[in-house]
Amino acid sequence: MIAATRNYLRFLSRCGRIAFVGDWRYYVWMGVLTVIVLLGLNAYCKQIVHGLLVTGMSDEVSWGVYIANFTFLVGVAAAAVMMVIPVYIYKNEELHDLVIFGELLAVAAILMCLAFVTVDLGRPDRFWHLIPGLGQMNFPASMLSWDVIVLNGYLLLNVHICGYLLYSRYQGKKPAKWFYIPFVFIAIVWAISIHTVTAFLYVGLGGRPFWNSAIVGPRFLASAFTAGPALIILALQVVRRVTAVPIGSTPYSATGSTPVGMAIRRAATLKDLEVLAQHLPELAKVPLADQVACLVGSTVSEVERGEILLHQGGQDSEAYFVLKGRVVVKREESGRVRITRTAGPGEQFGEISALNGTPRMATAIAEEPSRVLRMPADSLRLLMRNKALNEIIHSRMTERLMITDRGLLILRGIVQVSMLINVFLLLNEIFKEFYSGNLHVASSHYLFLGLHGHSGLVGWIWTAIAFNLTAMVLLVLPVSRSLRWLNVACVLSIVGIWIEKGMGLVIPGFIPTPLGAILEYSPSLNETLVCFGIWAFGLLCYTIFLRMAVPILQGRLSKANESLPELEGDDGPIASPANRVRPTALQT
Amino acid sequence: MAAPNPFTGPDKTSDKAMTRRNFLRGSAAFSGLAALAASLSPLRELKDFSSTEEFLQKYYKELTPDDMTKVIQRIENQVERQYGVRPHVRDLRPMDGVEFVYCLNLTRCIGCRKCVHACVNENNQSRDPEIQYIRVLRLPHGSLDLEKAEHNYAPTQVPEKGYFYMPVQCQQCKNPPCVKVCPVNATWQEKDGITVIDYDWCIGCRYCEAACPYWARRFNFAKPSIPKERLNPNMAYLGNRPRRQGVMEKCHFCIQRTRAGRYPACLEVCPVGARKFGNILDPESEVSHIFREKRVFIQLKEEMGTSPRFFYYFEK
Repeated sequence: MIAATRNYLRFLSRCGRIAFVGDWRYYVWMGVLTVIVLLGLNAYCKQIVHGLLVTGMSDEVSWGVYIANFTFLVGVAAAAVMMVIPVYIYKNEELHDLVIFGELLAVAAILMCLAFVTVDLGRPDRFWHLIPGLGQMNFPASMLSWDVIVLNGYLLLNVHICGYLLYSRYQGKKPAKWFYIPFVFIAIVWAISIHTVTAFLYVGLGGRPFWNSAIVGPRFLASAFTAGPALIILALQVVRRVTAVPIGSTPYSATGSTPVGMAIRRAATLKDLEVLAQHLPELAKVPLADQVACLVGSTVSEVERGEILLHQGGQDSEAYFVLKGRVVVKREESGRVRITRTAGPGEQFGEISALNGTPRMATAIAEEPSRVLRMPADSLRLLMRNKALNEIIHSRMTERLMITDRGLLILRGIVQVSMLINVFLLLNEIFKEFYSGNLHVASSHYLFLGLHGHSGLVGWIWTAIAFNLTAMVLLVLPVSRSLRWLNVACVLSIVGIWIEKGMGLVIPGFIPTPLGAILEYSPSLNETLVCFGIWAFGLLCYTIFLRMAVPILQGRLSKANESLPELEGDDGPIASPANRVRPTALQT
Repeated sequence: MAAPNPFTGPDKTSDKAMTRRNFLRGSAAFSGLAALAASLSPLRELKDFSSTEEFLQKYYKELTPDDMTKVIQRIENQVERQYGVRPHVRDLRPMDGVEFVYCLNLTRCIGCRKCVHACVNENNQSRDPEIQYIRVLRLPHGSLDLEKAEHNYAPTQVPEKGYFYMPVQCQQCKNPPCVKVCPVNATWQEKDGITVIDYDWCIGCRYCEAACPYWARRFNFAKPSIPKERLNPNMAYLGNRPRRQGVMEKCHFCIQRTRAGRYPACLEVCPVGARKFGNILDPESEVSHIFREKRVFIQLKEEMGTSPRFFYYFEK
């Protein structure tokens, strides 16, 4: 128990430390974000002192951009987890490694949501009045109390899932299914609930006909499933880019390295399997007959540092196990190369192409003098008849940082369909409002056409509609199968939906007031600074999460290398002996 | 570290590099803290601190009589310190067998807005920024469409030809949407039908303000300011005691008066007798008489199902 706690604290402290190191781009990015966060904090302090008078809000328009951003971000948080569905329900392997990025985005988005709600409160010092037991929670009558519960619950769920998966990967252990799969399924249902509850905040108000419409809930979900995955498509490409370096800038890049040598090669023996079983205990459970059978055609090679074991695009079909040393797996894409995983003793590589018969997805290079066991695909299949071994090999297949174009295009499919539904639902709303022509059309009239000479939101909403329609057309056309156009469509959707859902939904609900007065709203400078501060805070959180998660997924930050010096800078392969001090060496 | 070691990195671990690195780290941490302090600096202007006592104050319905005595004493001291007037704050509870109802005669109202100002004076509303509980609407003859209402009418003389006037304030609904939505139960309906707010419990989320179909609720966007000489020292805990920045308030049928057997301030000031107020459970009351005698009553936005206790009627 104590050892487990110590291990966990060590894990946390290493994760914490890594957040403070990176290359110059990382420092600049984090520095800029910190400055914006501090500017926002400064603006918020002014708001605490002088009250919400420093915002653009009034008794007439009593919610503004804070709640607009809150609404938008609840959607992002909800949608981020929806990527889980194809992976866990439809077993789509392409997206598997993207799930953790989605869930981390959900965590960051919820943190932003909580910040936006807090800055909107007149008396943030009384937040404890909301805590059940200490204060008074008006549950279940108040939709806001539901929102408090579902948002905090969602935060805990996602922190648990991400934290547990990453910690398991860090320890090199297979995550226990019962400890996270049930939570994954709860999180899926919960994701829908957070956004529905947020829609009900508005829908439940009979005195505001603009919001009091059953279609708001479905519209929220549709727009969330457009903007959320769109945001992830962009974020993943950023991750992909910053975790990769131009080819040739690091030692042992896939091209231009020592050609496949494997000079010392011999047939594998049972003794080799015993060595492997020391690191892979599940292997010992495989019947001896199968072990012997799998040795047919298997070889063991001693390789030097920098030797290439298999080539990206190659058609060979063996799987590999590391017996000694360390092998790094790198993937090349558009002129850049990224470490997708590293394999130490007992771990496998090259098994995906071996089992699927597809071309090699990456290049494997020995990072230090290593001994590897090479095994034909049929031998691996034979071993995998054993349930325990099958599970561990399968679970490791998914632990890799392989953001493929195909994965992004699957997300494109989600964005595409959601955007079509979103536009369709908006048209429904517009028809109902304007065709029946009853007195309650005033807010929509104000939003789309202006009312009695007031037209503050007209420019906003038509921009949103233009963006959404353009994005929709782009998404439907095959042109968005190229990432460049897909990115344009994603940016347009995100901005379009932010306006439609924020300025276009929250504000017009208040104009005209229930007594027919029109007072327009625009955010004040102070309010805007607070918003920028919170967005920067969210990006800061997300960057830190990724900074921790990426090396863990790559296997570069793991329990196995605890005794080695920490990562410094981004590019160098950390485990290469050139910049490593061995504890034993220090004693000499 | 004596012998040359093939595994030792070039300069990453050398003493010189470490010193430089530590120096850089130290100065980064220092400038970070300085920037944090600078960004927090506006808080120095914060004068309206909550004392620990105030911060930990319990919910109204959980205060024992002893607690209440202490809280009231604290409020009286605070008001005296701030305004130089010793107020008389009471925790007036609803009376048995009483349900208050307001009737407003639209035939008589001339739109003079005297009720608005009497209310501000009686209930210690902030003068800057301005908070008013009553909004008088000017409507063209023949229409109750509130979107045709003029809020800022300013003729030299009222009433004007072709218009009628409709003062709107908290309708004290039987089915109040504001109470339903409050996440912390800071607002509730009392036995005598008045919906009240615990100003010391409200978190200022303004959800009730969004929920109210009558635009009857007001938020303290800044610290309320009331001229010392205008402070009304006759106060009720759930009524007109001065509020703080960041909380909601609204019409409470002048609890400090009506629960002590007096009429609301807006009724007393009305020059044309358009406002009638009383206990609907008492068959002898004026409002019971009106209910029996008059034909047409308007509950504003009746279709909302809020069932207001504020009725508009016509004389003929």
